[in-house]
Amino acid sequence: MAAAAAGAEPGPVVGAAAAAAAGEEEPGPGAPCAAPLRLARLPLARVKALVKADPDVTLASQEAVFVLARAAELFVETIAKDAYVYAQQGKRKTLQRKDLDNAIEAIDEFAFLEGTLD
Amino acid sequence: MAERPEDLNLPNAVITRIIKEALPDGVNISKEARSAISRAASVFVLYATSCANNFAMKGKRKTLNAGDVLSAMEEMEFQRFVAPLKESLEGNRREQKGKKEARKDKDKKADSEEQDKSREEENDDDDERMEEEEQNEEEEVDN
Repeated sequence: MAAAAAGAEPGPVVGAAAAAAAGEEEPGPGAPCAAPLRLARLPLARVKALVKADPDVTLASQEAVFVLARAAELFVETIAKDAYVYAQQGKRKTLQRKDLDNAIEAIDEFAFLEGTLD
Repeated sequence: MAERPEDLNLPNAVITRIIKEALPDGVNISKEARSAISRAASVFVLYATSCANNFAMKGKRKTLNAGDVLSAMEEMEFQRFVAPLKESLEGNRREQKGKKEARKDKDKKADSEEQDKSREEENDDDDERMEEEEQNEEEEVDN
């Protein structure tokens, strides 16, 4: 008999920690199957694999990998929003590759992406 | 194993979710656009890592730390990321501290010293261990 979801939660510490890890103000209500975290999280292991790919990097702290993952999440949000402006201009509700290309060309901060996405 | 850094992808499901959360309801994203954004995110991490590493090297350190990444963000003109990143970092520190204390209690009960580091690389307070003991057996980030 499976333990009911309510009460089977490993303990308040996990829920709170998970919420804290999201870095958001919402502490989580402590209900079983805690309220969905607002932010999707990139797995640190994959980010770490990218960091390792750099031959000049010797070691990276857990915190560094964490901040990189979080920065990548912010980056995705940012570029999606910036690209969407172009979709709106084209009166479309679907973001397309060309919207992204336009954003990359127009916005200085995205210059590092030029030539890398093909 | 991926050969080239650019082939190291971040999971599609998570990327898609982040995009959807960023855009208004009812907005869709084409597969090509999603895949390009995913790739862009990988390139971003690679570029940020390289940038951060320069700061570490300037500081004569071999271990990339969170501060280096924050400096990289400024260098890359993503200053607006710095404040939210610092907030998230605080949360991460609290979480790591909580885990460490939970582990200490567990160790006391088990009455044995940790020999193997935890397999979950994400949940380890690696930076403390790395700098103190320099044991990297399970820590995968060293080259």
